[in-house]
Amino acid sequence: MTHHIEELKKFTINKINLSLIGIFIFSVFLFVAISADIISPYGPWERFEPYSSPSSDHLLGTNDMGNDILSELFHGTRVSLIVGFGASIIATAIGILIGLSSGYYRGLVDEILMAITDISLMIPRIPLIIILAALLRPSFVIIMLLIGLLWWPNIARVVRSLTLQIRDSPFILSSKSLGFRDRHIIFSDIIPNIIYIIIPKFMLTIASAMISEASISFLGLGDPTMKSWGMMLNFAFMKGALINEMWWWYLPPGLCIVGVVFSLMIIGFALEEKDNTEEVDE
Amino acid sequence: MLPISVIVDNISKSYKYGIFTKNEDLILSDVSLEIIKGKTVGLVGPSGVGKTTLAKIIIGLERPTKGGILVNNSNIWNMPKDERLKTLRTIQMVFQDSQGSLNPKKTIEQSLYETAKLIGIQKTDRKSFILEHLEKVGLSSDIFCRYPHQISGGQNQRVALARILLVDPEYILLDEPTSALDIAVQAQILALLKNLQKEMKFGYLLISHNTPLIKHMSDNIVALKEGSVVFKGPPKKYCQITTME
Amino acid sequence: MGSILEIRELSIVFSTVIGNVYAVNKSSFNLNNNETLALVGETGCGKSVIANSIMRLLPQNAKVSGKIMYKGQDILKMSEKEIEKIRQQEISIVFQNPSMSLNPLQKIGDQISEPLLIHKKMNKKDAFNKSIDLLRTMGFQNPSKTAKMYPHQLSGGMNQRVLLAISMTLNPSIIIADEPTKGLDNILITDMIEEFKTLKRANESSLLIITHDLSVARELSDRIAIMYSGDILEISETESFFNNPLHPYSKILLDSLPERGFNPPKGTSPSMVNIPKGCKFHPRCPYVKKECTEKVPSITSHNGRQVRCYLFL
Repeated sequence: MTHHIEELKKFTINKINLSLIGIFIFSVFLFVAISADIISPYGPWERFEPYSSPSSDHLLGTNDMGNDILSELFHGTRVSLIVGFGASIIATAIGILIGLSSGYYRGLVDEILMAITDISLMIPRIPLIIILAALLRPSFVIIMLLIGLLWWPNIARVVRSLTLQIRDSPFILSSKSLGFRDRHIIFSDIIPNIIYIIIPKFMLTIASAMISEASISFLGLGDPTMKSWGMMLNFAFMKGALINEMWWWYLPPGLCIVGVVFSLMIIGFALEEKDNTEEVDE
Repeated sequence: MLPISVIVDNISKSYKYGIFTKNEDLILSDVSLEIIKGKTVGLVGPSGVGKTTLAKIIIGLERPTKGGILVNNSNIWNMPKDERLKTLRTIQMVFQDSQGSLNPKKTIEQSLYETAKLIGIQKTDRKSFILEHLEKVGLSSDIFCRYPHQISGGQNQRVALARILLVDPEYILLDEPTSALDIAVQAQILALLKNLQKEMKFGYLLISHNTPLIKHMSDNIVALKEGSVVFKGPPKKYCQITTME
Repeated sequence: MGSILEIRELSIVFSTVIGNVYAVNKSSFNLNNNETLALVGETGCGKSVIANSIMRLLPQNAKVSGKIMYKGQDILKMSEKEIEKIRQQEISIVFQNPSMSLNPLQKIGDQISEPLLIHKKMNKKDAFNKSIDLLRTMGFQNPSKTAKMYPHQLSGGMNQRVLLAISMTLNPSIIIADEPTKGLDNILITDMIEEFKTLKRANESSLLIITHDLSVARELSDRIAIMYSGDILEISETESFFNNPLHPYSKILLDSLPERGFNPPKGTSPSMVNIPKGCKFHPRCPYVKKECTEKVPSITSHNGRQVRCYLFL
């Protein structure tokens, strides 16, 4: 058994090094998102000669409207990350709330909340978002809300099962019989003991939300006033970037999506695994 | 004068499960026993016989299906909520899993401070209050900034005990308090429990499947089998359940 | 009686962030053919580290010196390939948790016959029959039925017996049991002791039992070795040990047993990073002398028993 643990450790150490790469890639994107206004050579809506190839003036050329693609890409980073983070924060918050209540109070509360969760899990999410986005006025806040409101059930289930696991552990029972209030027990005993599993789930949800936003925008249901990577892809395809082999137009936003999602996945999995080995160690 | 005791009065507990099928599992049936201040009751029985469920009922974490828990002759489930919580605070419990009795993410200091805060000890007095109780269980402030996994099983059990002493209980349930410990440490903890009882007149309910240990510690033994009491009497008369079959 | 395993001057040091941890210090003992040796000590005294070093299962930060001679070969000098072979066929180890060591998705019979298929190149039917035989020797009434069951259909004690059957499949020369009774309740411990007795009868392997439970050691072992904070303090025949313990630590250990009235010893075992100079037990010893505080006594023979104490020099 010990040598399994040892192997696991070696494996994890590599994973943690790998996660440094993930953190590095992600911080580059974060930096770009925050300082988009400063580092962009032009404004995202500024117009130059349309359809120009990459040159020293426009490193990634211009699009059909004559907007500088590099500047678009930088500003798109901001929009995409906000949608991803925002949706994931909403989903995680709802997930924790529902999972904790259902695992901690059990009984009827649990049955009702879990029934809701199970039903929500069965909803085909992307088609539903497409329909709703088409019905409602497309805006990136609405898309963020929709993704957040549909992505919580997985987190709720994980949080519930973790809560169930520790709600009967001696230290919780002992806190209860010492007379601590439920609120104290939930915030100071339960959450600190499950947060290490929620954080990686949060990271993975960001990645998943960003992909969904890109897919919706790509289908033309995104917010036309906000330039996200998905919207850029949508325009590129509609204006024939692919047929005309204008790779500088459609490739960069695609690569950026892959890059961010990849870095988030690495960080998420590494955190998950780190936690597992810690448990084994004890 | 009313006797000072916790009386377990004809407790039954069953669990219903399933929404569509009304199945019922009977865990305890008509269990009665009495925990008297200054004395120890030993509760024996094989695992899965409902000993821990009974303990949870006595400390008020579960409600009995039938019967009542009388603390100083009043039934806790007939009390208003505030009074019930206050009464239940006089009954505390020490658990078997010595590492699990304390929150693994909190230092010993944090675990003890929050308890002192809970019972309204002034900020300036907290440290001396805690030290005084740590001394009672044979520990010093050296372990303050450690986490539960950084101290030994015996020390964990001592800290768990100190934490309970902070709220000034009258009755303590001991659920296999030493079964995860080395024998030399076990003997030390048992001696500590006996000394504390002598000094503070605690009423103990000692749950264990270790017959010599129960006989050594108890004034009275109650044996459970399949949820019912099969023996009640002084240790001398008790011989192991397996031989009673 | 020849010895199958000779451990000579074995020292194991872990280098960790808080400094070097001396887990085992120059320990020597023999495991004889067809005998049961119990290595007894409190949590953290280094007994499991010895078990893992015999299987070469220690983590990389462990520095091991000394010799572990198995059938005349030093295990510590073997290549990875050789030690693999030893682990699979010569020495088997039984861990504490039966439900975690068995595969829940595989039939009992298949799990027992797996090593036979791989290492003995048996055909499936023969291997399965052999596994039924093994289950019978471990006391299953209807072994051919048990072989077709899954672990969750058996009780914890039965699964433990299955694990013991698996440990015997390749007829190992040595079986190491690491804390076989930890976390079990008394009734299961009694069962477990019976199971090991069955195993001893059915098998000619030597048995090394690592335990903190003196009553288990008393029931099962022919000889007993007492460990304290990385040192072996006493090795003697089990019966004479319980009748007349030599080392002061052995004495306090026996006094804390239930049948002797749970007499609590004073003090606690030292932590692994803060070990006293000289004899490790001297701060707790009632017979402490000046020399005890200065130098670790060497282990000496005393009426055919071995003890590490100045009282017997």
